[in-house]
Amino acid sequence: MAGANSQIQMTDLDFNTIKNNLKTFLQSQDTLKDYNYEGSALSTLLDVLAYNTQYNAYYLNMVANEMFLDSAIQRSSVVSQAKLLNYIPKSSLSPEATIRFVVNQVSDASLTLPKFTTFMSESIDGVNYNFVTTDATTVGVSGNTAIFPTVNIKQGIPSSLSFTVNSTSNPKYKFNIPETNLDTTTLQVLVQQSSSNTSYQIYTKAEDYLILDSSSLVYFLQESMDGTYDIYFGDNILGKQLTNGNIVIVSYVVTSGVDAAGANNFVLMGSVGGYSNTTITPISAATTGSVKETIDSIKFQAPKAYSAQKRAVTKEDYITVIQQNNLGYSFDAVNVWGGQENFTPVYGQVFIAIKPAGAYTLTATQKQRLITDVIRPVSVMTVEPTLVDPDYTYIQLTANVLYDTKKTNLTSAQIQSAVKTAISNLAATNLNTFNSTFSATDFTNAIASVSNAIITNEITVKLQKKFYPNLTTPSTYTLYYGAPLERGMFQSGVTSTPSVQFRNPLNLANIIDGVYIEEVPTSTGGLESVAVINPGYGYQFTPTVTILGDGTGATAEAVITSYGSIRAINVLTAGTGYTIAIVQITPDPADTTGALGAATATLIGRYGTLRTYYNDSQNVKTVFNNTIGTIDYVEGVITLNSFGPIQVNNDLGQLTITTKPTTTIISSSYNRVITIDPYDPNAIVVNVTAKST
Amino acid sequence: MATINKIYSDIDFTFTKKPVTADIALSYDAQAVSRSIRNLLNTQNYDRLFNPDLGSQITGLLFENISPILAGTMESIITNLITAYEPRARLQSVRVSPQPDSNAYNVSITFYIENATLPTTTTILLERNR
Repeated sequence: MAGANSQIQMTDLDFNTIKNNLKTFLQSQDTLKDYNYEGSALSTLLDVLAYNTQYNAYYLNMVANEMFLDSAIQRSSVVSQAKLLNYIPKSSLSPEATIRFVVNQVSDASLTLPKFTTFMSESIDGVNYNFVTTDATTVGVSGNTAIFPTVNIKQGIPSSLSFTVNSTSNPKYKFNIPETNLDTTTLQVLVQQSSSNTSYQIYTKAEDYLILDSSSLVYFLQESMDGTYDIYFGDNILGKQLTNGNIVIVSYVVTSGVDAAGANNFVLMGSVGGYSNTTITPISAATTGSVKETIDSIKFQAPKAYSAQKRAVTKEDYITVIQQNNLGYSFDAVNVWGGQENFTPVYGQVFIAIKPAGAYTLTATQKQRLITDVIRPVSVMTVEPTLVDPDYTYIQLTANVLYDTKKTNLTSAQIQSAVKTAISNLAATNLNTFNSTFSATDFTNAIASVSNAIITNEITVKLQKKFYPNLTTPSTYTLYYGAPLERGMFQSGVTSTPSVQFRNPLNLANIIDGVYIEEVPTSTGGLESVAVINPGYGYQFTPTVTILGDGTGATAEAVITSYGSIRAINVLTAGTGYTIAIVQITPDPADTTGALGAATATLIGRYGTLRTYYNDSQNVKTVFNNTIGTIDYVEGVITLNSFGPIQVNNDLGQLTITTKPTTTIISSSYNRVITIDPYDPNAIVVNVTAKST
Repeated sequence: MATINKIYSDIDFTFTKKPVTADIALSYDAQAVSRSIRNLLNTQNYDRLFNPDLGSQITGLLFENISPILAGTMESIITNLITAYEPRARLQSVRVSPQPDSNAYNVSITFYIENATLPTTTTILLERNR
């Protein structure tokens, strides 16, 4: 039938292409000619063949997809591929809160807070969540009061299961826990000898296979094909094997995931040791917790975990290890750098900046646990990990928008709101993380694309630093703005909000309120250089150079050439306090011909001075401290020395210092994060003007 | 039916075998086209995989009350169907005669094919089968 050279091309998945391939094949014979006519019997047969081929090809394609981590779609396939990389996908993690728990009127000598003691949270969106202790704690009773200073409680419903080991029916010693939302960090596995011998041993999760031997009491954990969890045991080579009659008892907490985040007030359900007169003080609100790791996250994390090999050596290793912590902390961003890169190099330390999800900084406990439980076990022995808080630089944006009323039916308020949304959205994608760049052009473009009616727009940017001054001890604060700053005069330069209170150093009982920080307008210092603009002619002797201006102490000398013109003028002393400097060149009295030499002076612009001021009872601006700090305009650094207010006049006690950068491209590196404060009503200001016609 | 050369050849839907060669029986030219037309008439829309337009809604009409108007509608449907999907048949006439007593329509289609001097007439009885 078919010619010797004809081949069926079967590389396509599309039905019509397959059918056309079959038709092309049939063209090479002349027994059956009616393949092109839809009504023919041959066409019906081709349909069946093509459909069958397409069905098989699709099926094989899906099978092949599931064989690779990159293309697998089913969770069970992804999990199984990840297992080859020794990666156990993260389970759901319970939100975890910390409380101080006091039991009153206790008549015993000691009191035990049992495992799975249940607390009920306040209502969150109409639901009260169960929180439980995951370990038993015993404390001594003193004065009829038992104090549990820190009790960690996790959200979830406690549950337990027991399995009797039977090598005939379950020769692989694999046991299924039929829960998809269990928090595996709460999983506890006990193996009881037998139903008659109730002594038991605690098995822990196998983490490092190098240290396992035939007597290691470990279990292995994996996510099973249906998203529940399997535990299985050793083979007497890697981990101790179970024996017939053993009873495996597992207890765990099944969590509702992230819903209970933020719970902070709890009541005890029932009693502890028969006592129900209790006091609960919240220490830290429930963490975010997390839902079960998504397929995308597994695909992303598994190869990285594999390449890190449970060792933190490179920057990426650290980031992976920290992101994959099993403490239940979730982070928006992690940045790591070597101490040698610091402004003041610190050798032998690796610096880690972490921006936690839903908070600005980590708590001291969280930092401690990250260092001891997560980073230290995998980092190089001689390298000391140091956690630093993110250093937030807040951006205050003012956008001026000009729009054409004829091109839109939106009101100016609607345009204003749309522009604000566009700015917030772009900020959410571009900023708020480490190593990000703020560019005013991006924002200008985003605003321009809001509506066709927007003719033009401009953005002005201010940078803010917020910090909590120490109200008891005067301290030094260094604020890195990360961009060169503009030299300001009076209110256009550095400003601070809110006002602060100081004690009058001359009369400590006298409190001065309403104190602000500003730049000293005449803080320009001395001369940087003098440039010759006209060398003049005929100088027989070196002329005298005098610096005139409002400062003091600047001196310079001229150098003349053998032809009698001025080659250069060198600054000898920079002087101080100049805002303006004029270079006067006076020929030597004995010189009869020298004339016309002229030069200009450049003032030192790098550093400025900050001062504090207040308005006194007669509303007269009074300088309180003339040198409270310095400002480095080039590096964008403000330093406050011995800054010791006794009160900051807002609820938070937070002081904000605002400056204006000379550039609108601001990059963050190391631990710096550029962000827009969502709680600041002035963070994004949009002024909309209709174009007058 | 006088054919000079067999220009159309198709598998016979009866799938009988030729007595001598034991190969599958084929149908040729006018017979092949007639079979094809019958096949098209018996195909409803969406019957064919990935080709929902192929076929017609005639089967549905068989469940309506028999009337000459309906017969006219069927004629135009059949004409359109053959024109669209059976380019081999140059239609001369389509007659649909209602058979009220047997609850059926008698369809008589006359057409020319290439290489044939005389028209071919094929008769199909359309009746509902449930």
